[in-house]
Amino acid sequence: MNRSRRKFLKGVGIAGAGAAIADHLFVETEAKETTPQTISGATKITLDVNGQRRTVEVEPRTTLLNALRNHLDPAVTGPKLVCDVGTCGACTVLLDGKPAYSCLVLAVDATNKKITTVEGLGTQEKPNAVQAAFVEHDALMCGFCTPGFVTTITAYLKQNPNPSLDEVREACKGNFCRCGTYPRIFEAALAAAKSSSSSSQV
Amino acid sequence: MPQQPQATPSPSPKPKKKIRVPRVVNGVEQMVEIEVDEDSGPGWGPNDKHTLLNHRLTRVDGPVKVAGAARYTYDQRLPGMLYGRILRCPHGHARVASIDTDTAAKIPGVKAIVQAPLTELRFAGAPVVAVAATTPEIAGDALRAIKVNYEVLPHVVHAAAAARPDAPKVVAEESNLQEKAKNGDPAKVQAAFATADAIVDEEYITPRLHHACLETHGMVVDYRGGDTAIVYASTQGTFTIPADAAKELGLEQSAVESRVEHMGGGFGSKFGIGTEGMFACRLSKQAKAPVKLMLTRYDEFVMAGNRSGSWQKLKAGVKNDGTIVAMQARQYRLGGVGQGSQAGQPYIYRMGDTYREVYALHTNEDSAIAMRAPGHPQASFAVESLVDELAYKIKMDPVAFRKKNLRDEVYHRQLDRGAKEIGWSRRNPIAGGNPGPLKRGMGCAVGTWGGGGNNQCKVDVTISRDGSVLVAVGSQDLGTGTRTFTRAIVAEEFGLGMNDVREQIGSSKLGSANPSGGSTTAASLSPSVKDAAIKARLMLAERVAPLLGNPKPEEVVFANGNVSAKGQSLAWKQACAALPAAGITSHGEWRADLQSRGIHGVCFAEVEVDVETGHVKPIKMVHVQDGGLPLNRLTLESQINGGMIQALGMALWEGRVMDAQLGMQLNPGFGDYKLPGSLEMPELVPIIDDDDKREAVIGIAEGCIIPAVGAVANAVFNATGIRVRELPITPDKILMGLVSTRSGSNGVAG
Repeated sequence: MNRSRRKFLKGVGIAGAGAAIADHLFVETEAKETTPQTISGATKITLDVNGQRRTVEVEPRTTLLNALRNHLDPAVTGPKLVCDVGTCGACTVLLDGKPAYSCLVLAVDATNKKITTVEGLGTQEKPNAVQAAFVEHDALMCGFCTPGFVTTITAYLKQNPNPSLDEVREACKGNFCRCGTYPRIFEAALAAAKSSSSSSQV
Repeated sequence: MPQQPQATPSPSPKPKKKIRVPRVVNGVEQMVEIEVDEDSGPGWGPNDKHTLLNHRLTRVDGPVKVAGAARYTYDQRLPGMLYGRILRCPHGHARVASIDTDTAAKIPGVKAIVQAPLTELRFAGAPVVAVAATTPEIAGDALRAIKVNYEVLPHVVHAAAAARPDAPKVVAEESNLQEKAKNGDPAKVQAAFATADAIVDEEYITPRLHHACLETHGMVVDYRGGDTAIVYASTQGTFTIPADAAKELGLEQSAVESRVEHMGGGFGSKFGIGTEGMFACRLSKQAKAPVKLMLTRYDEFVMAGNRSGSWQKLKAGVKNDGTIVAMQARQYRLGGVGQGSQAGQPYIYRMGDTYREVYALHTNEDSAIAMRAPGHPQASFAVESLVDELAYKIKMDPVAFRKKNLRDEVYHRQLDRGAKEIGWSRRNPIAGGNPGPLKRGMGCAVGTWGGGGNNQCKVDVTISRDGSVLVAVGSQDLGTGTRTFTRAIVAEEFGLGMNDVREQIGSSKLGSANPSGGSTTAASLSPSVKDAAIKARLMLAERVAPLLGNPKPEEVVFANGNVSAKGQSLAWKQACAALPAAGITSHGEWRADLQSRGIHGVCFAEVEVDVETGHVKPIKMVHVQDGGLPLNRLTLESQINGGMIQALGMALWEGRVMDAQLGMQLNPGFGDYKLPGSLEMPELVPIIDDDDKREAVIGIAEGCIIPAVGAVANAVFNATGIRVRELPITPDKILMGLVSTRSGSNGVAG
């Protein structure tokens, strides 16, 4: 079953301004649905995180980001909580390979998705091409935005293996860095694209 | 622990001398006098003769950060840990009449509630009460369940309104306007103005800015009611935490360890435990459980401090030959309830007779605090705009005009270098003179900073019998590359590679270190690291001397992984096998001769302005920076880039917006407070000025945010002929300028 966030919101009828607006907006769509699933209180769910099935108890309102960071044991803390409202990209994860702000996704709504965090892309010992290029080109300073950028760019290069500089800028527009590493992030992304394409030719 | 051999103390006391060094308190430099050895020991050697330093070293914590495995304070999760949240006053000025926390306390999962000391609340966002609960969501429920009755008082949040005699008082019985300093002779200045060929008399305004550290302020207090505690803090000062945390917890200072493994940005805003740390400690003490209290993004905007705003009335007179003869300034520091900061005018220019008055002008806003070069970008923007206006007024090239009024020749060579790199010769000297709606223009500006160190760092270097090397110091790495240069100094001294040395930092249980403010970290830490490394090298040399034909320790050469003397050579590990079982540990102290202070930087900017929309597109920025010995060229360039980008934000996009009626901030989030993003990035050219031959370490982080603001503003003027004197330079201001120009009130300068 492919439950969207809006259906879920209708189902549980959460109070609160944001949810109430969503509820109102999507009421027509909802009317056509059959037996919306109701979830309330703490609920056990299973998430597919970096290829592992992880069972965790969360409230319906718990975001995927908070489930990863605060509820999974051991925690998955690569995705960072920075703005909590989908403006900065530091919490970016891949849902079925597509980048998503995990602060805007409810954990209960991610049960049927393959969730990939920065930890699932590579390790310190075996980094992926983007991670290796970030180190090589000094595309990080404090490093707090880095997991989000690495995840975003990794997904983008799958979609567009030979991007131009302007395409890389465009791909990064949903992520903020405050230390000022943008130029080096662009360099790293272009270098990673080059190294990936040359290695795939071998 | 086994007793370890120590560096032998010198037999007689060395001759001493007194020097003045910066010490950082709450992010702000204060000069203090200390005593240092007159004769210190070997230096760094020529800047171009290093094997690791002054090269491009990838940062040693890069791999752990790109893998998402670096553990920040925000990532700490301890068994039984609670989550703290703070309830804030929604009014610009109020007193708490009553607080009812009964309902909140009954919510399942709420474990502790702590009220702030009951004082007057002087800004919207002032903390009132804090809670700790088993999840952050439940802590949010608790905040919503707390009922506070406020006695609302009159407020004022805009500087111009606060300066009026009938304005609401930020502090009762005190004027909002406080005189801070008067320097110079106003009569002399008036007389000099009479000799000038041209006068510029204008006002320059910069808004309050936010540090916007991606990791918010906060800490995790691991205290369960025993005799000891560990505090994980997102801080620029590992050693600024234990004393205050211990006081809140009722423990001895030595019983509290602070840890800063990684931290997600500070920019001057993170010193001491802060209000959030006070709450975290009290909540933890009440609940007898670990508490994580990280500010929300909203909290961070309304309470975590900000860069002081400024309002500067400047008047200067110039002769037709380009000599500035006089300047007078009325400078208002806009620090909210705090004092604010602003460097004194005419900043670094020589302007003949000068007179300035400095005031703090208070509003009902949270206190401004240190932010990357406190008070300097504000002063620099104003004076660089003024200088530019004077140059255009007498039709002199702005680069030549600056050289004429800057005594220090380092600026002259840097201006020439920057001009060449940006292509200054392509610039149209007529402001707004290029045809078409997309107009390009160039501007420049200069800046300075101290960047010297002090004697607060104590470093241990341990060589084990198996050849492993550990350098340990409690200092923190803000993302500046502290770990990397610490390792590199030791590796180079021993003739080893970067992977042969490990460093341990970020704990108050390690050797003491200075807080990272005032760009003092590199110049404070690196001499102590070098000193420890030299001592360890000599200790090892003494041990292996019998195996190498008994050379003097200083004759033993450490290079390419070998230890050699008198034609004989040992591999590093063979040499270390001669050590006692416990290895050797040396203790490094700061050496004044290995560092210096005083740096120079220039920035050139090229922009393209769409005069139909007022949109400014940055095209290219060049920053030339000196700084003695560059410890690591790669990370140094990254810092220069960072300075230019943050300055670009200040020039074009950033600024707190306050609502006069409500007294609250209208843009407390990344959706409304515009940070520089990937789409706006110009081509950035960071240039290390290698003509600086000083064999000494100097901090540059703050110096490289200063000149770019003025450079961008001046480029906008060159492009359009519109002088925007209030930051940020948003399209509305450019369009308004164009409208008034067309109506003939203000001819295009040339």
